[in-house]
Amino acid sequence: MTGRGEVTTGPLAVGQFVSMVKRTLVREPLFQRQTIKGEVSQWKQYPSGHTYFTLRDDEGQISAVIWKGRCQIHPSIKEGSEVVVTANLDLYVKRGNIQLNVERIEPINALGAMEEARRQLIERLRLEGELDRPRQRPPFSPKHILIITGAGSAALSDMQQLIENRWPGLRRTVIEVLVQGQRATEEIVRAMALSRRLANPVIASQRGEPPVDLIIVGRGGGSPEDLWAFNLEPVVRAILASPIPVVSAVGHESDLLVSDLVADVRASTPSNAIERCVPIRAELEQWQDEIHERLNHAMLRTFGDARQRLIGLHARLKVAPLAGINAGRRSILTLHSNLNRAVEARFSKERTRIAGLEAALVSIHPKRVLERGYAMTQSEQGEVITKAGMLNVGQAYTLHFVDGTAQAAVTEIHAEEENT
Amino acid sequence: MTEKQPTYNEAAQRLEAIVASLERGGMDLEETLKLYEEGAALLKICQTELHAAEGRLNELRLEDLEQELQAQDAQATD
Repeated sequence: MTGRGEVTTGPLAVGQFVSMVKRTLVREPLFQRQTIKGEVSQWKQYPSGHTYFTLRDDEGQISAVIWKGRCQIHPSIKEGSEVVVTANLDLYVKRGNIQLNVERIEPINALGAMEEARRQLIERLRLEGELDRPRQRPPFSPKHILIITGAGSAALSDMQQLIENRWPGLRRTVIEVLVQGQRATEEIVRAMALSRRLANPVIASQRGEPPVDLIIVGRGGGSPEDLWAFNLEPVVRAILASPIPVVSAVGHESDLLVSDLVADVRASTPSNAIERCVPIRAELEQWQDEIHERLNHAMLRTFGDARQRLIGLHARLKVAPLAGINAGRRSILTLHSNLNRAVEARFSKERTRIAGLEAALVSIHPKRVLERGYAMTQSEQGEVITKAGMLNVGQAYTLHFVDGTAQAAVTEIHAEEENT
Repeated sequence: MTEKQPTYNEAAQRLEAIVASLERGGMDLEETLKLYEEGAALLKICQTELHAAEGRLNELRLEDLEQELQAQDAQATD
């Protein structure tokens, strides 16, 4: 190796030179994250996990490497495949080779194949009746929303912002997943499996929160390939299997994914999902205030009316018996005077009769008889003697005259023959 | 509770109907009182529902939530 001082004075060491070239190459923006299409040749996948190939066409070629785990490799890619790669230009100093570090590789015919698979999936779902299945109604006012979307994505922050505007502090759980690439499917399915548990009342109460009652699964806009996980059967089946309503909120207005076709609610965008599922709390509160007032008012009015009626009745009640009594009293008085009159009439008649009787009595009073010269005989016992046969010889009798009495003794009795 | 708790929407719709018929009037007091009590209970449900939606904001990585739930399971089976 050469020392530092020789760089400017002597010839460059080749390694240094190649390093300089590398530095210049990697600094060039045109050579970074460039999308290049070509044909795959010398495709070699090593046990180390790295894949080496040459990207070529009729005009030229370049070495390419896919470092282990750097990107998903579509299984259809093989020798001779037409592919599109996104790659950074690099220079392997030790060999002086220029190569592409591949970040992404897609077979050119893959989109066609994917489209076909999507079409077939939709057809299967149609035959199974899943496209026309009755949808679950999302809760009018969700108490615990589960959002399944990309970590730190614009879609997530848009949704969060919108929720805060509409319903500050609404309870929500976000499960951060990959939303593109091959692993996205698996992660979304795993998150959906977890949602089932968060929706379970027992598990939720152990966690000290109400069960999840709405799921929003989605992501922001992207290329058709970026959104593709939402066209794949595992994701679609996970949505279909959900015991609670699922909102599919993928991409932009114009993107229609299979997840949209099977979800309980299809939102055109993630923000739209929030607008459709999260009410504006202030409006609900206002409605509650209004209905509270209307309820009380209607109640008070009904009771007020009844009270007025009652007061009216009461007033009438107070007057009514008096009126009756007065009428009664009047009729009793009438009866009374009628009675008096009747009694009076009766008595005066009696009186006349009694006067007549009196006169008659007066005319037949014994005194009047005595005045005419008759005398009345009475025994010692006070018995009036009306017949000679009532007399006993030797007994004393009292003779009543008009002006006095005399004692007499019977010496003889001459009774006349009497025909009885 | 013998009956299933109505959802917010069910409660709100029933409450609207109750208030409308109370406003129409023409019912006897007993009926009015019964409706009023039902209405007040429904309003309470609606108000409670709003408060029930307040809560924590969890942002969880998939793996973390999986582990959390597993730990919870382990605890539950102890």
